[in-house]
Amino acid sequence: MRATRAIAANTFREAIRDRILYLFVGFAVVMVLSSKLFGMLTVGDEGKIVKDIGLASMQFFSMLIAVMMSMILVSREIDNRTVFNILAKPVRRWQFLLGKYLGLAMIIGANLVLITFVLIITVFIVTGELDLMLAFAGIMTMLEMLVLAAFATLFAVLTRPILGSLMTLAVYVVGHLSADLWLLTRQLPGAFTKAVISVVYYLLPNLERFNFRTEVVHDLEIPVAAVGWTVVYAMAFVALVLVLANLRFRTRDLK
Amino acid sequence: MKRTIGTLAIVATLIGVAVVSEVRLGAIPRPDPLGRELLYLPSPEILKILSLGNPGLAADVLYLWSIQYYSFFEPHERFLYLETIFNLITDLDPLYADAYRIGALIMQIQTSGDQEELKKAVARIFDKGIRNLPKNWQLAEAAAWDFFIRFKDRKIATHYAAIAARMPDAPARIKRMVGVWRDEDSAWTVEDSIDYWRRALDDAEDEWDRVMCMGQLYDAIVARDRHTLEPLLREFRSRFGFCPREWDDLIRAGALSQAPVDLFGDPYGIGSENCDLVAYKRIKDQ
Amino acid sequence: MTEIQLSVNNLQKTFHPGLFEASIEVLKGLSFEVEKGEIFGFLGPNGAGKTTTIKAITELIYPDAGEILICGLPHTSLDAKRRLGFMTESPYFYRHLTGREFLQFCGELLYVDPSVLGEKISRVLVEVGMERRADQKMGTFSKGMLQRVALAQALLGDPELLILDEPLSGLDPIGRRDVRDIILTRAAAGTTVFFSSHIIPDVEMICDRVAIIVDGVVRTIGAVSELVSGVAATYEATFVGAAPSELKTPLEGQHVGSGASWVRVSTENLDRLNRELAGLGAHVVSLNPVRASLEDLLMRHYEETGS
Repeated sequence: MRATRAIAANTFREAIRDRILYLFVGFAVVMVLSSKLFGMLTVGDEGKIVKDIGLASMQFFSMLIAVMMSMILVSREIDNRTVFNILAKPVRRWQFLLGKYLGLAMIIGANLVLITFVLIITVFIVTGELDLMLAFAGIMTMLEMLVLAAFATLFAVLTRPILGSLMTLAVYVVGHLSADLWLLTRQLPGAFTKAVISVVYYLLPNLERFNFRTEVVHDLEIPVAAVGWTVVYAMAFVALVLVLANLRFRTRDLK
Repeated sequence: MKRTIGTLAIVATLIGVAVVSEVRLGAIPRPDPLGRELLYLPSPEILKILSLGNPGLAADVLYLWSIQYYSFFEPHERFLYLETIFNLITDLDPLYADAYRIGALIMQIQTSGDQEELKKAVARIFDKGIRNLPKNWQLAEAAAWDFFIRFKDRKIATHYAAIAARMPDAPARIKRMVGVWRDEDSAWTVEDSIDYWRRALDDAEDEWDRVMCMGQLYDAIVARDRHTLEPLLREFRSRFGFCPREWDDLIRAGALSQAPVDLFGDPYGIGSENCDLVAYKRIKDQ
Repeated sequence: MTEIQLSVNNLQKTFHPGLFEASIEVLKGLSFEVEKGEIFGFLGPNGAGKTTTIKAITELIYPDAGEILICGLPHTSLDAKRRLGFMTESPYFYRHLTGREFLQFCGELLYVDPSVLGEKISRVLVEVGMERRADQKMGTFSKGMLQRVALAQALLGDPELLILDEPLSGLDPIGRRDVRDIILTRAAAGTTVFFSSHIIPDVEMICDRVAIIVDGVVRTIGAVSELVSGVAATYEATFVGAAPSELKTPLEGQHVGSGASWVRVSTENLDRLNRELAGLGAHVVSLNPVRASLEDLLMRHYEETGS
């Protein structure tokens, strides 16, 4: 475990010093702050607009950071020779993957904490209330990013950096559309088509499950079961995808 | 080899867990986001900008989305939300004929809520559509029928039918509809009706049309004649104590100068039971 | 009985680049052994399989067949890897880390005792001559500096076996001398060094034994001196009074200068040359044996296999 920890810490350190990270975080913060401006354009509940834009920025920029950082931290390392150095040492391949993933997760988490903090402050300035449910939304977004980061790790093992990033992006898009597609295709005829689509639907992560934004913005009650199963869902997918990544990685020749 | 089997077993288990949790999550009722969100959709101007030069596409997407989610609405005042969203769609793409038609149709399906408000909302959608699509007689005709059948409001139905009839290329049957409904509602004078149907007969485009117009004209003339002749019959009865058996009775009494005939020149009859005018309509032979 | 630190037996590896490309058989049954404390050179042309062999030893690639033992242990075991120090060809490192932080990271991966890690890092930094620049970010390092850090991380765990892939390439003469010195010092202290190189003079200079690998197999293996002694020596003769073009003896080289000419002949043709020169009335100024070099040996192997 010491090796995993060392790799995770090293990955985190490398990321935090990479200036491109600050670019994304900066954008996110700007978005949240400017939501106040958007709020002024609306008639009625200014707080709602601020929360909507803030939560959307939080999710969108976290996704960008996840995709970008996974390319820099995981893909590139596997693709070029920095990884040789590590794997020639007494480090198992799964330790390397897990360490990389955890490092990536930590950097995404750090970013999310920052954005959530800025959002809570902004909402406080606009509405005078301290809405801690925003932190809950942040946690749910973190779960979503954990799943996405796992896919990014899988693609880093399977293919080249840029292609892997595009595929991660694709998972994000499809993950959010999958619920809609599911509904749409229920109208389609044919048991076989339905069966195929069911399989595809269940195998792809339904990222909308992490979306509690409506409840947060409108102050609605959140069923505990929903939260519980969402966590289970996320963990199952993360574990599944990382196991698959390792399955490929541990037999892959590193040229 | 053993390791791989072990790994695949783990993979299968994890897939199982993922599927189960997804199914369980699907079963948990969640608040309908659309209903509440609808009132806060960004204004059309902003949506136009967000669509990055594809307002038509944005309209399509919203349209598809609303059609999809329609069945998941819970709130009672659905038509208000529908109105908002269809207004949004039609602001993005004012020429989107379907949006007006289907929007109005979906709205009408509501059976709960304030029906008066619903009618007004439906009218608003149609009015907007007609305003933006001044040559689309189909839309106006659809409006007419919707109000006729769903809301049973012939006055408004006739109003829309008349609008449709005025549009270029509107088929003759719409014009007939206007006439028929006005007749049934007595929404105009008999003279106007006779005038209308005479003109319509002149305009008749095909055999069916001609027959129909002829029928309506006949009925209108009968109505006029009834109006003039039945008082005479009643007056005769009150004077002489019995209903005239034939028109000559009235002529001899000095009430009429000649026997009245219908549109085709055939004499009317007199109904002995009610002492009223009887018309023998034989359109098909003419 | 000398201890075998590295044993490679019948290593085979074929690469399958893709669906539409032909497979490439790189290692065709490679075998050799490295004894404890020796400096072992690994020579061969590009594509011979040197780097592939080294990657197989460090478990970066998986051979199709064959056995590799490090210090008597299977090369896949963590224990074996702990005794190994590895330096890649053209090292890439983390731009934003300092040299010291990087070595700290490597030390953690080697399970070096944290209490002595700092001291060990300082020691190897001195050994490679990077003690003053260790706290700069590696993104600012020159290639030579990166290579020194690469060597430092290989030495960090006090390995029993050092595997270096082209450790001297890209260095200036001072750098090459320093690295050679480090290798010699470590070897003298008991570390076994196995390295691959293209720079033949360096190999000749410091290696105890050499393996020549061509086309996926080991062609020759043995002490440098033994190997080259088997190569037929040549002689160089400088003379005046005749021209090389007049000679019928087969010549391996010739040059006509302003005063004298010289020719080179193999040992077996030496007598014939002498008689010919005497017959032409030429005056032999000097006659010297030319020591065969490893390069000659290598060239011969290349020619034999058509590389």
